[in-house]
Amino acid sequence: MIFWLIAEVIKILIVFAGLLMAAAYLTLLERKVAAKIQNRMGPMEAGFHGLLQPIADGIKLFFKEDIIPWDADKFLFLLAPVIVVIPALTTFAVIPFGAPIKVLGHTVPLQITDVNIGILFILALSSLGIYGVVLGGWASNSKYSLLGGIRTAAQMISYEIPLVLSIIGIIMIAGDLSLANIVSEQSHVWFIVYQPIGFIIYLIASTAEMNRVPFDLGEAEGELVAGFHTEYSSMEFAFYFIGEYAQIVVNSAIIVTLFLGGWQGPFLPSVLWFLIKVFFVVLIYLWLRWTYPRLRYDELMDFGWKFLLPLALANIIVTGFIMILINK
Amino acid sequence: MEALFYVFSIITIFSALMVITMKNPLTSALYLVLCFFALAGFYVILDMQFLAAMQVLVYAGAIMVLVVLVIMLLNLSKIKKIKADLHQIFIAVIILIILFAEIVLYITKGSLKKPTGIYTRALINKVGNTQIIGEFLFTKYIFPFEVASILLLVAIIGAYLFAKKKY
Repeated sequence: MIFWLIAEVIKILIVFAGLLMAAAYLTLLERKVAAKIQNRMGPMEAGFHGLLQPIADGIKLFFKEDIIPWDADKFLFLLAPVIVVIPALTTFAVIPFGAPIKVLGHTVPLQITDVNIGILFILALSSLGIYGVVLGGWASNSKYSLLGGIRTAAQMISYEIPLVLSIIGIIMIAGDLSLANIVSEQSHVWFIVYQPIGFIIYLIASTAEMNRVPFDLGEAEGELVAGFHTEYSSMEFAFYFIGEYAQIVVNSAIIVTLFLGGWQGPFLPSVLWFLIKVFFVVLIYLWLRWTYPRLRYDELMDFGWKFLLPLALANIIVTGFIMILINK
Repeated sequence: MEALFYVFSIITIFSALMVITMKNPLTSALYLVLCFFALAGFYVILDMQFLAAMQVLVYAGAIMVLVVLVIMLLNLSKIKKIKADLHQIFIAVIILIILFAEIVLYITKGSLKKPTGIYTRALINKVGNTQIIGEFLFTKYIFPFEVASILLLVAIIGAYLFAKKKY
């Protein structure tokens, strides 16, 4: 019992620290990738090739003046950035990031907790991140923020449906909601082979869910200044940033777990395989951001409701038919 | 487990009270979200993880977001004065008394012995309650399930027609 408790606490600390570090260094990675795509160098001054840039940014944001608008709803204004970060970090609790290891004769699964409804847990939490954005937009009491918040809310509701439906195919094939079992089901063939369309729908819908270009209508800087976080400064602004980048890491980890075989892979240690795969999915997200222009708002809604949603439904039906035909 | 029950009870009752006493409608809506979360906690205590996830996913994650969106669009914060209606208070008191009487009756007359079905706790933990709920929905309760889905479809079409109507 004591051993189990200590192991859990250590795992939680490792995941927590790892996620925060990953979120911090993703800012650097994003700037480097953007620079590469735009044929620039990116940050070069702080440390070797800008390696200390995230720390410098963090210190800078920490010492910035903390401005709260006079007419803002102060409590909600401060609560909103926190609501963005917490679901993003909590989601990682059910994601298995390595094969079970043996420590002192006990088998320790490299997953904080294996709940039997793993996927639903993830979906439930990811549907909550929206509150941070919407509340931030409303509590700022500014027109740009409010517009950004409302746009984001409408967008996230629209894209959450294809996001959920794209996973149904995986659940049907695996026959289980537990993420540990889904990973072990993929020991021979990754689910991306069975569910290529589900994979693409999830990739697109999760990009929209995270408000990233080409779906960042909520913070379109050309029209809304910075959208829902226009009025934020200092650490509250940093929280929005941490939340966004933590979401990228978590979403990549979910994609790896559901579609790319989780931590499974030959030769290398399982944790390393997991990290490599997550890194590549993160690169896909960054690549999408810096090579696509932003959609217009009506195009965005049309795309979600008239294309992604029917496609996701068709994917479920076809998957069901094929499963019956081959008698799985 | 019992300690958790009390924690969730306190949160539920507190947030439910705040929902009806808060002046700002948006704050009320947020307390309602908290209330749903505490209810999800009850489901987890009762080993109904599926219901807990659905509670958060559907109520907190989807329905309340729409409510919050509508509140934001209406901008109700401008409305300062709320009219106190005597009729409302009268009806509310009567309903309150009836509900309270029901609770008292239930606590005094009810017994701890409940009929046990074929699904014992051990079996549920073995098979998983998601699977059991799914099986029931698609076998025994297939008719009400389909009727409910058609009802929702009709509601969607109705809402669409109202939204499209030109005045």
